[in-house]
Amino acid sequence: MISIFDGWSYEEITTPTVDYYSLFEHGMGHHQAHYAFRFSDTDGRMLALRPDVTSLVARAAATLFAERQRPLRFCYVAPVFRQQPRSHAEWKRESTQIGGELIGGNSDAADMEILGIICEVLERLELDRRCSMTLNDVEVFNGIAEQLKLGSEARDEMRELVDARNAADLERFLAHHSSAADARALAQLIRLSGKRKILSEARRLITNPRSSLALDRLERLWSVIEALQLADRFEIDLGDVSRLDYYTGLTFKIYISGAGTRVGSGGRYDGLTASFGKAEPAVGFVFELDMLTEVLRQGFDESSLIKQSTAATKLSGQNLRDLFTAARRKRATGERIVINWNEEVQ
Amino acid sequence: MTQLTIAIAKGRLQPKALELLMRAGVELSRDATSSRRLAIEDESGRYRLIFVKPADVPVYVEHGIADCGIVGRDVLLESDPDLLQPLSLDIGACRIVVAARNGAPERQLGMLRLATKYPRIAARHFGARGVAIDLIELSGSVELASVLGLADCIVDLVETGKTLQENGLRILEVITELQARLVVNRASYQLKAEAISELIKSLEESMEASGSD
Repeated sequence: MISIFDGWSYEEITTPTVDYYSLFEHGMGHHQAHYAFRFSDTDGRMLALRPDVTSLVARAAATLFAERQRPLRFCYVAPVFRQQPRSHAEWKRESTQIGGELIGGNSDAADMEILGIICEVLERLELDRRCSMTLNDVEVFNGIAEQLKLGSEARDEMRELVDARNAADLERFLAHHSSAADARALAQLIRLSGKRKILSEARRLITNPRSSLALDRLERLWSVIEALQLADRFEIDLGDVSRLDYYTGLTFKIYISGAGTRVGSGGRYDGLTASFGKAEPAVGFVFELDMLTEVLRQGFDESSLIKQSTAATKLSGQNLRDLFTAARRKRATGERIVINWNEEVQ
Repeated sequence: MTQLTIAIAKGRLQPKALELLMRAGVELSRDATSSRRLAIEDESGRYRLIFVKPADVPVYVEHGIADCGIVGRDVLLESDPDLLQPLSLDIGACRIVVAARNGAPERQLGMLRLATKYPRIAARHFGARGVAIDLIELSGSVELASVLGLADCIVDLVETGKTLQENGLRILEVITELQARLVVNRASYQLKAEAISELIKSLEESMEASGSD
């Protein structure tokens, strides 16, 4: 996968495992950062095991790489650590993320570049026929929340209802916050998923200017996807509202049949670097490596891997000097060896 | 053809859930519904039903072993799983209530001792009002805790109120009213979108039809 990143001119970046908790809180928002394992530094400040890599890359871009020419293209493979009280399916405290970030590009081209890399990764892993990627733009929801003049608490409540596709409770919620006609129209939001057709349906139901701009963006992106003949892998899903606070535009999720949970996600986060000094447009994605491995393992013969690892020259002998002289000579040529202890005992 | 696996909560909800599914076009033979098998297929092969303990329904669905599930909302409130809940079903209506022994004095000072099968729901309810509680988690016959004085009050699921009445308890407060829910795995919702929206639609139609009778 790293070779694919290299092919798109992404440089690998290493980020700290332990950093200040406040950094993640700024980056991910309180709700998500709360999943981090926290402990205190010698001076009493709160530290955390990184629950997320994107916040750290954004900070590096705003500080270490402040002077570098834009856009910046970074990729990483790194473990992240999260407490998992909510979900039974994703219970692991440690998981490995593999991701890419494109910082300093605010255009449809940047969004499409990220989607292009994801498509190539899935093709290379021969998963492209089994995958489904959902696209949305958080501004569609933000526009509606603004139109309804929702406070932050009500906004969160509505987002959770939409996210869970909870039609019954959403209608009840909307009846409190809007006129009957609006409530009926907006309750349809959670049913709006599909191909290009649903965008025109959405325009009929959602008319505020902020949401309309987002629908325009999605439509432009969809046209490119269609032209590249990738439309069978994508779905627009306006009910897919992300919980991560830092997204500001396009969001997407990656599903593969055979995996019970999503294997990747990402989106545009134009505000994130602002918390580190300089606001810049940015877009990125992440694959859950453990989930990908799980999917790839299905129907894969693991014994072929084991055979490969036994292909090594066996060395043994009573005389340790001769044994290790031979061992070092063979290692100098790069040969794979295994010191056989059992024979020595006999 | 896509096959959907539906996890159904065993017990109280099971016969009503099966009846609802049959009205919505899931073809089950009498043999299948009356047997004790834990997994059955419908005649058309479009659906596979598995029967698990109510609290395990969200677990199976979250892992994607089952694509959908039918389960009481009490279970969802208690375990707070990461699932889609596209449909409220008109079966399994009940309430979660606070109840205490008839004539028991209301505690004015100190911690309220409370026994329940639903520690999270209870903690959330009293926490929101700033009432300090001492939680005792039980797994059944919660009414006894109040009768025998293990706790000042209980938080429990009530369908008719008969068990409470027969054990000399009265309802102090209704925390929430609930029904069963159709829950769906997030990945299945995308990958088997057509089959799932078909199931949702036929369930909706069959509920509307019976509602207008």
